[in-house]
Amino acid sequence: MLEISELRKRFAGGPESPEGKLALDGIGFTVRQGEMYGFVGANGAGKTTTMRIVMGVLQADAGAVTWQGRPLTYADRRRFGYMPEERGLYQKMRVAEQIAYFGRLHGLDQAAAQKATDDLIERLGLGERRGDAVESLSLGNQQRVQLAVALVHDPEVLILDEPFSGLDPLAVETLATALQERCRGGVPVIFSSHQLDLVERLCDSVGIVASGRMVATGTVGDLRAAVGRTLRVVVRDPAPGWADGLPGEIAVRGDRHELVVTGGDDQDILRRAMKAGQVEHFGYEQPTLTEIFKEAVA
Amino acid sequence: MNALILVARREITTQIRTKAFVIGLIITAVLVGAVAFAPKLMGGPDEYTLGTVHSQQLPVQAAAPDAKIEWRAFPDEAAARRALLDGDVDAVLVDGTKVLTDGKIESELGVLLQSTHREAKLGASGVRIEPLQMQSVGADTRYQEARTGIAVVLTLVLFMLIIGQAMMVAMGVVEEKGSRIVEILLTSIRPWQLLGGKIIGLGVLGLINLGTILVVGLGASFVSGVAVDFPPGTPGIVAGVLVWFVLGYAFFATLAAALASLVSRQEEVGNVMTPLTMLIMVSYFIAFYATAEPTGTLATIMSLIPPFSSMVMPVRMAAAEVPLWEIGLSMALMAGAVVAVLAFGAKIYERAVLRTGARVRLAEVLRAR
Repeated sequence: MLEISELRKRFAGGPESPEGKLALDGIGFTVRQGEMYGFVGANGAGKTTTMRIVMGVLQADAGAVTWQGRPLTYADRRRFGYMPEERGLYQKMRVAEQIAYFGRLHGLDQAAAQKATDDLIERLGLGERRGDAVESLSLGNQQRVQLAVALVHDPEVLILDEPFSGLDPLAVETLATALQERCRGGVPVIFSSHQLDLVERLCDSVGIVASGRMVATGTVGDLRAAVGRTLRVVVRDPAPGWADGLPGEIAVRGDRHELVVTGGDDQDILRRAMKAGQVEHFGYEQPTLTEIFKEAVA
Repeated sequence: MNALILVARREITTQIRTKAFVIGLIITAVLVGAVAFAPKLMGGPDEYTLGTVHSQQLPVQAAAPDAKIEWRAFPDEAAARRALLDGDVDAVLVDGTKVLTDGKIESELGVLLQSTHREAKLGASGVRIEPLQMQSVGADTRYQEARTGIAVVLTLVLFMLIIGQAMMVAMGVVEEKGSRIVEILLTSIRPWQLLGGKIIGLGVLGLINLGTILVVGLGASFVSGVAVDFPPGTPGIVAGVLVWFVLGYAFFATLAAALASLVSRQEEVGNVMTPLTMLIMVSYFIAFYATAEPTGTLATIMSLIPPFSSMVMPVRMAAAEVPLWEIGLSMALMAGAVVAVLAFGAKIYERAVLRTGARVRLAEVLRAR
């Protein structure tokens, strides 16, 4: 279990802003074994800073990161897999050599690094490119190599900053599958993304940050429950004024009226709708992550 | 295997595979070979073609054993004059009494002919003259020319190699920092392993370069015959150069890495490196001056003060005899300076290399924590 609690970080300011910038103001969340955790928030909200602190690239001013109940050490981090926000690869190095090199740096011996590299190259569909220099690869393929570098030492935890940005749908699928496999193997995976539909589909839990603060965290189900479900009713050709006095908003589309309500007596609403006209749709709808996100950061 | 060695090995294999490295090495080898053959091609022993008309050959060869002398006999003076005007012969002895030349006779050849003629005549009349014995009361200067030559070549080689390899270290550091590879690297290895591996790897490449220069230079010198003029202490000078290169490179490369870690873009490398390149240039100028005055006060003092000593001392050692204690003291001081710079440079590197974005100010890094 990876536990992040009360992280604070202020960046030193220049002459124009002696105050500096408060990047993190008490970020905290927990990721369990085999859990896929989606980290969402606007640009500059503090996602990258949090991940860099977890990886030890940056020092927090206050707060703690613990792994399996103990403070996270350098030796622990060596067994983590990390994909930084701005991609870092040796442009002139060949694909297979590069992946194996990072495996060796993480402590694998030559044979193990080679085997892991071969596996990943096949799984990520890089077979034809294994001997090419990284700089000659497309963005999507470079991203695959970057993921391979993060995975080569069979990490105990995965921390990925925007792993899906700039990828075509097929590459997204390949990457998502690779992550899900690791997750099923018990590895906690944290990744940040702006693709909320993807986060909603892949993640067990989600954390929403805004201005360095955790505005919501929990399983997708919990967050939905917190926002509350909405009732959507569509009535055809209703009598005018049928919904007067009901909570919610009415949208008129041609001869159809669409009523969206949160709360209220659903049976009463149904009776009134049936009396007013022909009911085409009546049902509760789950809020999407986008709606949850809008609600949370509002 | 240790991470340090892994990093060093990556530096070596990546560089060796580049065309720039291979071509650079070939060009270096060719240049060094050319330098070793140059004295032979430009100088060479004196060559004279002499002629006779109704005369005995003079014992010129015995008087000038280094010169190459060829004799030709002409039937009459007219034939000899034609040959002189065509440039086929340098001088013709006619009837044992006069010497014909085309224009002014070369003074050395003139003196040679006069003295051998006198000696031959005296010998014929039974007078024997013991040749004068030459003796030097000053230092043995037989090898001075060769020593100065070696020193000049050495200064240039050390300067080029040290500034070149230090630049490579700086560019490598910025490559890793700018592309954020360093963030992944430093979550799997320690900063000193990354820095040390890079410095060692590029240092080995520098040694490969230096080794090529020494092997090709010495080899070509033996083939061309220039090596005959090498002073007796040449193996010591060569060994000294290797040690001094290692010390000087370690010093300057560490500083280069520390300075480079302050910036995130390749364009800024030149700028941030300026103080260091100036320092290397100054060392080079002093070393170059020392080739002319290896026993002067400036050379003597600067050959003890690090980091200048790393370039001045090997030059002094090549150009003149240096007392052993001075070499020892100079090496000890330089080694101490290298240790200090390693500790200091590694600290700066460690603190600055993860701070991407705008250029980090040195004062800020030193104050931190």
